[in-house]
Amino acid sequence: MDKNSHLETVIRTHQITKEKELLNKHIQKKNEVKNALEDEYGSNVYAPFNSGSYEKNTAINTKFDFDLVSPFRRNAFGSGGTLKEMYEAVYDFLFHKYKNVAEVRKQKVSIGLEFYTDSDGDKIKIDVVPGRELNQDQYKDDENLNLFVYYKYGNIDAGSERIKTNVQSQINNIKERANKEKDSIRKIIRLLKVWKNTKGNYPTKSFFLELITIKAFDKGNITGNLWDKLKAVLEYIRDNITNSDFTLKDPGNSSNDLADTLTDSEKDQLANDMKNMLDRIKENDENLKTYFPENPKFKEEDKNRYKTNGSIPMPPPKLNFG
Amino acid sequence: MSLEAHEELLNGLVEKGKSHYPNEFGGILVGYYSQDNTYLHITDTILPKTFKASKFSFERSTKGIERKLGIYYKEIPKQFYVGEWHTHPDNSPIPSLTDISALNAIINNQDACLANPVLLIIGYSKRKVDFGFYVWFENKLYRYE
Repeated sequence: MDKNSHLETVIRTHQITKEKELLNKHIQKKNEVKNALEDEYGSNVYAPFNSGSYEKNTAINTKFDFDLVSPFRRNAFGSGGTLKEMYEAVYDFLFHKYKNVAEVRKQKVSIGLEFYTDSDGDKIKIDVVPGRELNQDQYKDDENLNLFVYYKYGNIDAGSERIKTNVQSQINNIKERANKEKDSIRKIIRLLKVWKNTKGNYPTKSFFLELITIKAFDKGNITGNLWDKLKAVLEYIRDNITNSDFTLKDPGNSSNDLADTLTDSEKDQLANDMKNMLDRIKENDENLKTYFPENPKFKEEDKNRYKTNGSIPMPPPKLNFG
Repeated sequence: MSLEAHEELLNGLVEKGKSHYPNEFGGILVGYYSQDNTYLHITDTILPKTFKASKFSFERSTKGIERKLGIYYKEIPKQFYVGEWHTHPDNSPIPSLTDISALNAIINNQDACLANPVLLIIGYSKRKVDFGFYVWFENKLYRYE
C-alpha cells in the first residue's frame, strides 16, 4: 500500500471546499449570532470574531470548528462584575434567544449552540467564547482577554479565572505557520483532526493538536514524505506528552500552558493511542486506513488511478511483441 | 488518468526505432506517478542489450536492465519501470494480439508489480509517425486520448 497516496486522498476527501453549502450555512449562522450579540450588548462588546479552524486554514469537512470569540469591555457587566457573571449572562442571553431552535450548552470555556437538524439534514454548531478585556478600553491596544473556565479543563479547575489569552495571536501564529509550511504542518494538523474525529468525544482539543504539531516541527528534524512527517509527529507526541517537564505554550499568552488542558490520565491515553497507532501501522500498512479514513461521502473511486503492488516494479524477463 | 512524455524522449525513440528498419524495435519505459497516482510522467527508456526482431515481431530480454532500474529508483522522485514500447514499421500503432498477451504477462508477473502498465506503439512509415499510447486497466486496454 502506498501510505503517502492514501494520506493525500484522506486530505482531499476532507477538503472544506467539498462542503461549500454546509460551510456557507455555518458562516451565515455565525454572522447571525454575531449580530445578535452586537445588538444585545452594543458598545459593551467589541466585534465578535471567528477563531475556529476555518480561520486558521486547518479545517476539515467532517467537523467545522466555528468558535465565535466575543470580546467584552471590562465594565460590560458592572465595574465589579466577575468573569463568572459575564459567562452566565451570555449563557442566559443565548439560551433565551435560541432555546427553541438549538441546544444551548455550557462548555469548558465556551457556550455551545447546536442548531437542530435542518431540512437538508445538516447540523450547525457554533461555540461562543465570552472573553473580557483586562482593563477598560485596553483590548484595542493589546487584544488580551480573560476567559472563564466553567468546567474542569484538564488540570485547570472549574471556576478558574486564570486563562488570559490573546486569541488573535493564536490564530495568526497557527495560520502563519500552517500557510508557510502548508505541505507539512497544515496537512499533518488536518490528518490529526481526522484521527481525532474517529475517536468520538476525545479530550484533546483541536487547538492542542495544532500547537503540538508546530512544536514537533520546531523541535525535531521532520523531513521526508507526508507519511515520514506524520510518523515523526506521532512519535514526538508519544515520546514527549507524558514527560513531567513537557509544556505547550499558548501563542496568545506564554504563561498559559496548554499541556494543562489535559489531565495526567488524558496525557497517558494520548501517548498510548499514538504508540498503538504506530505499532499497528508498522505491523500492517493497511491499518493506516483505520486511523486515517477517507471521508466516505467523498470517497474517491480507484478508477483513474495508477496502481503498483508495493515493491519496485521489474519488467518480466522476456516479452514478445508483434 | 493522464500521462506526459517529453517530445525529446519521443523523438529519440523514433530515431532508435527507425535505425532498426525494417525490423521492429523497442525497450522498456521508465517514469513515475504523481502523488495522487492520477498522472504518469514517462522520463526515459532503457534499451535491451539482447533482443530478437523481425518486421512483425520483437522479443526483448532484460539483460542489464535491473541494474539500470536500480539507479533510476534512487533518484528523486523515484523512477521505475512503468511499461513497454516498440515500433510497428510501415504500420499503424494498433496493438496486435501478441502485444495484448505481453501486457497480460506483465499483469500476471509478480515481480512486475504493475496494475496499469503502459504500452507505447510507434507506427511509422517514410512519411509519417503515429504514436499510440495505451494503458491496461481492469482487464482492458485503453488508448489515451
